[in-house]
Amino acid sequence: MPRLPTSLIRAARLIDPLLPLLLRPCRDLRSAQNELRWLCEHIQNHAGARNITERTALLKKLVQERSTGKPLQYILGTEFFGDFEIECRPGVLIPRQETAASITQLVHLLRKSKSLPPELRILDLCTGTGCIPLLFQDELSKHQDIRLELLGVDISKKAIQLARSNLAKLRSQGKPTAGNKISFMRADVLDDAREGYDHEIPKLMSALESQHKSSTWDILISNPPYVSPSEYWKTTTRSVRCFEPQLALVPPPSHGLKDLDQGDRFYPRLLHIARDVAAKIVLFEVADLDQALRVTGMARQAGIFSGIEIWRDDPGGSAELESTYASGDFPIVGSGNGRSVLCWRGEGAVWLGKHV
Amino acid sequence: MTTAPWICRTCLSRFVRPLARSNARFQSTRSSKETIPAGLLARARNIAIEHKQLTEKLANGFDARAAKKIGEYSPIVEALKAWEKANESVGELTSLIHDPETDAELRELAAEDLSATRATLADASQSLTTSLVPVHPFAHLPCLIEIRPGAGGSEAAIFAGDLLRMYQAFCNRKGLRTMLLKYENINGGQEAGIPLSEAILEVGTENAYGMFRCEAGVHRVQRVPVTESKGRTHTSAASVLVLPSIEENTLGEEDVDDPESDYYIDPKEVKTEVMRARGAGGQHVNTTESAVRLTHIPTNIVVSIQDSRSQPKNKEKAWRLLRSRVAQLRREKREEELAAMKRSVVGVAKMGRGDKVRTYNWGQQRVTDHRSGTTVHDLNDVMDGGQTLEKVMESVRNWLMERDVEALLAEESSSKT
Ligand SMILES: C[S@@+](CC[C@H](N)C(=O)[O-])C[C@H]1O[C@@H](n2cnc3c(N)ncnc32)[C@H](O)[C@@H]1O
Repeated sequence: MPRLPTSLIRAARLIDPLLPLLLRPCRDLRSAQNELRWLCEHIQNHAGARNITERTALLKKLVQERSTGKPLQYILGTEFFGDFEIECRPGVLIPRQETAASITQLVHLLRKSKSLPPELRILDLCTGTGCIPLLFQDELSKHQDIRLELLGVDISKKAIQLARSNLAKLRSQGKPTAGNKISFMRADVLDDAREGYDHEIPKLMSALESQHKSSTWDILISNPPYVSPSEYWKTTTRSVRCFEPQLALVPPPSHGLKDLDQGDRFYPRLLHIARDVAAKIVLFEVADLDQALRVTGMARQAGIFSGIEIWRDDPGGSAELESTYASGDFPIVGSGNGRSVLCWRGEGAVWLGKHV
Repeated sequence: MTTAPWICRTCLSRFVRPLARSNARFQSTRSSKETIPAGLLARARNIAIEHKQLTEKLANGFDARAAKKIGEYSPIVEALKAWEKANESVGELTSLIHDPETDAELRELAAEDLSATRATLADASQSLTTSLVPVHPFAHLPCLIEIRPGAGGSEAAIFAGDLLRMYQAFCNRKGLRTMLLKYENINGGQEAGIPLSEAILEVGTENAYGMFRCEAGVHRVQRVPVTESKGRTHTSAASVLVLPSIEENTLGEEDVDDPESDYYIDPKEVKTEVMRARGAGGQHVNTTESAVRLTHIPTNIVVSIQDSRSQPKNKEKAWRLLRSRVAQLRREKREEELAAMKRSVVGVAKMGRGDKVRTYNWGQQRVTDHRSGTTVHDLNDVMDGGQTLEKVMESVRNWLMERDVEALLAEESSSKT
């Protein structure tokens, strides 16, 4: 990482002596100032500091923590996902804004549909904090009179605990979860035996059965680990590597899988599940346009979808909303990096407002 | 933009149509009304093309501005259709009559039809012309009529009072809502019966500005004042100022979806920038960047919000801020336009100082409007706000419209060069 210019550090110090410390993780003055403000607000609103001296000491401590690269979201304990405040804890991946943007866009399309069934079942695999089902149900129930059944699945115990805690918090805040059924379940999405694998954890399909969950799901969403080992070292930031769980980012190795294929490892399995649960809409997050193109290729090969498209970071981006065709194959929607792959079939086309 | 004076289309339709019909009756004298200047026709056809394009655009997705434009253009397109149909009929009938093959009976029938079709064409031409004249942006508003005595001492003040009563009686007869906002006699009091120093009459009915704006200017009186002992005729004057009465914008922040509202912004005209993580994004970075920047392209207003950690919240706030900034700008612009308009209205009145707009002559019991050149003889009916006054006002509105048409034609030919 390039050194920060001395002039910038000096300018920061003039504004606040704590700012130079925040420049280290933030890299620019504006973000550093924002973070300092959020930390101050956090201390005033939540932390148990009783007087100015205690507060100042606490602020200094938090700023120092942050300067080591510890994500602000872990320090403050929450992150905004859409306009939803989601609890975050070390050991579980912090939800990303790009994910929220895709979910919001998906709900936006569904909201416009006049032919949604009275009941929809949504399965979110690799759910982490549970942010996806929680945002999905909130955004859709606000506007549509519809009953939702949502299930979030994750292999990590910490993730499932956190997801349940997020759900409980939501209910305690009196947010309308109305007639919706939301639950979280621990299971393994991949179905092979792996080295160092905890055999206590059931495989997805048998868990669905043993826990008396439905075996068919209308919409399948997943933001699985999608970073290959080499990318992990090259493109992730230090804060991600040092503080977020590798389990959430890098798919496990498997005999004979090359680097790139290891990064893609969840997608063939997810497509398989999509077929088994008879999903009519599928939304997968991906790392970039290259991976998006590989995943669309797999989806086409699966041969079950009537439509496939690629979304960018901001798929509903107002002014720049445009579809371009990648090598004459699939539409690419929105602006930013390639971010997700959307597939549909049967009624899914109607729900999404796609003309068949 | 046209520099033509504006005229109220609703008034026109009320007053012009009968005129068109009378034209048909006196075709021998005013047959020119049957034709329409080539420039205007070209303008109408261009608008029809644009109308068609806009309609297609609307079919591909809702666009409030396009919808509004279509609404504005529709009457023109309709009028053009009617004109083209009538014009075609006249052409067909004429060629039928001139065709040596046509037998006598048919020719007679055609000739009969021709005069009726000509009348229709004259009507259609008039309607088309009227539809093309831009409606004064304030024509639909209520108005204020301000009356002050001009040169001529107390006789002028007495005449100013006569004019006020004339307008009040007129409004009364037409059922227009009025309110005397200000009445001050030359002693600074409010008692009636003493010569007037200033009166402001509000006509609170819609379209009042369109109806009364032609009254602005210097009104001249020629009579033997009651105060004159030697029986000499005096000439005095009173000035009339007519202003649109603009209330504070009634559409507010609640009306963000109404294209008429100052707060309305077409999302297509806004560039949204979220300050995304540099580089790969997604799982590779855990940025706290949540700032949102919006640029309103037509006005180049930029707002940027980074208060909250939630990007959607920042976006919402940014939109609210952008709306109020744009609304502020629009209000300022409108106020400026209004100020400019007031200056030009006052300008008309000033022009009238040397150049009176109308003369009321008691000796001859006549009223002459110097703009339209109309003279009427029932002075008493005018002063009582009767039909005769209405006739004079109507003549001025028609005169104004003719000026508008001239300006349109001038604009049309200058835009071609
Ligand atoms: C990139 S995170 C996504 C979390 C969340 N959906 C979000 O968007 O913020 C991937 C998640 O997958 C979980 N995971 C990793 N391997 C898994 C497996 N084999 N089966 C199920 N979940 C797995 C991780 O624990 C992690 O929570």
